[in-house]
Amino acid sequence: MENSIEIKNISKNYPDFELKNISFNVPEGCIVGLIGENGAGKTTTIKAILNIINTTGEIKVFGKDNKEYEKEIKKDIGVVLDDSFLSTYLTAKNINSIMKEFYNNWDKEKYFRYLKQFDLPTNKLIKDFSSGMKMKLKIAVAISHSPKLLILDEPTSGLDPIIRNEILDIFREYIEEDEKRAILMSTHITTDLEHIADYIVFIEKGNIIFNLPTEELLENYGIVKCSKQEFEKIKNTDYIKYKKEKYQYEVLVQNKYDFKRKYNIDVIDKPTIEDIMLFYVKGEK
Amino acid sequence: MKEIKGLIKKDLLNLASYKSTLIVVIICVCAVGSMSQSAINYIPIMMTAMIGMIALSTFSYDEIAKSNKYVLTLPTNKKEVVIEKYILVIGCIFIGAIVGFIITPVIIYIINYFRPENNMNIDYNLLLTTTIGGIFGISLVSSIQIPSIYKWGAERGRIQMFILVFGLIAIVVGIGYLLVKANINIDYNVLNNFLDKFGLVVLIILSFVMLYVSYKIAYKIYLKEEN
Repeated sequence: MENSIEIKNISKNYPDFELKNISFNVPEGCIVGLIGENGAGKTTTIKAILNIINTTGEIKVFGKDNKEYEKEIKKDIGVVLDDSFLSTYLTAKNINSIMKEFYNNWDKEKYFRYLKQFDLPTNKLIKDFSSGMKMKLKIAVAISHSPKLLILDEPTSGLDPIIRNEILDIFREYIEEDEKRAILMSTHITTDLEHIADYIVFIEKGNIIFNLPTEELLENYGIVKCSKQEFEKIKNTDYIKYKKEKYQYEVLVQNKYDFKRKYNIDVIDKPTIEDIMLFYVKGEK
Repeated sequence: MKEIKGLIKKDLLNLASYKSTLIVVIICVCAVGSMSQSAINYIPIMMTAMIGMIALSTFSYDEIAKSNKYVLTLPTNKKEVVIEKYILVIGCIFIGAIVGFIITPVIIYIINYFRPENNMNIDYNLLLTTTIGGIFGISLVSSIQIPSIYKWGAERGRIQMFILVFGLIAIVVGIGYLLVKANINIDYNVLNNFLDKFGLVVLIILSFVMLYVSYKIAYKIYLKEEN
């Protein structure tokens, strides 16, 4: 399997934040979720991929250097940013006439079909759109030139569950249309990723904590619930983090099956990605 | 080049919301200019200033929508983004100058038609001088303002620009004061003769030089800026 994005040891220094040697890949045909707290480095990583900021290290998109082939690469990428778009004093119809100048394969019919599908008015100023409508418009714009790669920065934040679900369906359809396509999606709404992501990359304070297949995370990881006495018997190397609750200990383990065999503790819950993230951030070791 | 066209389209479509304001401004400028023979000669300057400055307001639109970040995700780069702004500003300055140059004789004809007793004359030399003067003035302001906006943003950039303009005026006045103080006499006849012969050409060349230097500075600033 080829990689749509290859990131090797990228670093970036800000006075109050540092991105430290980030490396991961986005394989073709896959959805990779980038998770982490606000300010963990997700958006910085996306900006680095798009060459909006300068970083050290190597970034290849479609096998090409992202700085040297910047324009060529961007012709095959669709981007959705949570906090930025073209002016709000434009209409969806205006956007069509602008975008056809940027993309040779801009598909006007497809774009207006999406607008119709999403119930978006063509002649209304974007400033009068609701948050959900704005996000749907950004998505319609991002996929109307049939890009090989979608980069999405918080595409579902601030949206109600129904619209979020609709949007996730769009991404599912998009990736199913062509096996060469890929999506990199940063979000802090981790439940969205449980449904669609193939891999999860967790960034915390500028470091990658883990980069694992979603299935492995959800199937193998476990939250052990035990007493203080039971917890004291667990070897330090056999768990990732623990949390001391009012009446019990909660322990995050990497392989619940191995753990069960070794310690004979039966109460092991299946964690959500959010649980795992919270253990890494708030748990102790 | 197609990408620059896309960026220009984006800015022009943004400016479309200015249509009615622009018509009102043009009518007001014409009304003020038609009051006297001396005032009418300033129509090209006012028109160039109004239309030229409107182009600069696209920076505010970009800032409100944070569109600079989004634009850089499209198949373009920082160099094209800066070039587009200068093309837009230069285009607007020249459109303003041409509108001013054409509209002034039209107003004079209309006034003379309705008020034949106060016949106004068309001085094409003066008209050309004020038009090119307008181009130079707005080019100077834009040359200072665009890099200021890239450095400090649309709002703060405007304040910084006024500080810079006043600083420049203070320097010129200061030099004049020092020349008088040091009893250095300038032969103004030589200067006037030179300006009569080559003044307009010099102003046009200077306008382009200023805008080119300004572009270089703005690009350098924008290249370092991280959205």
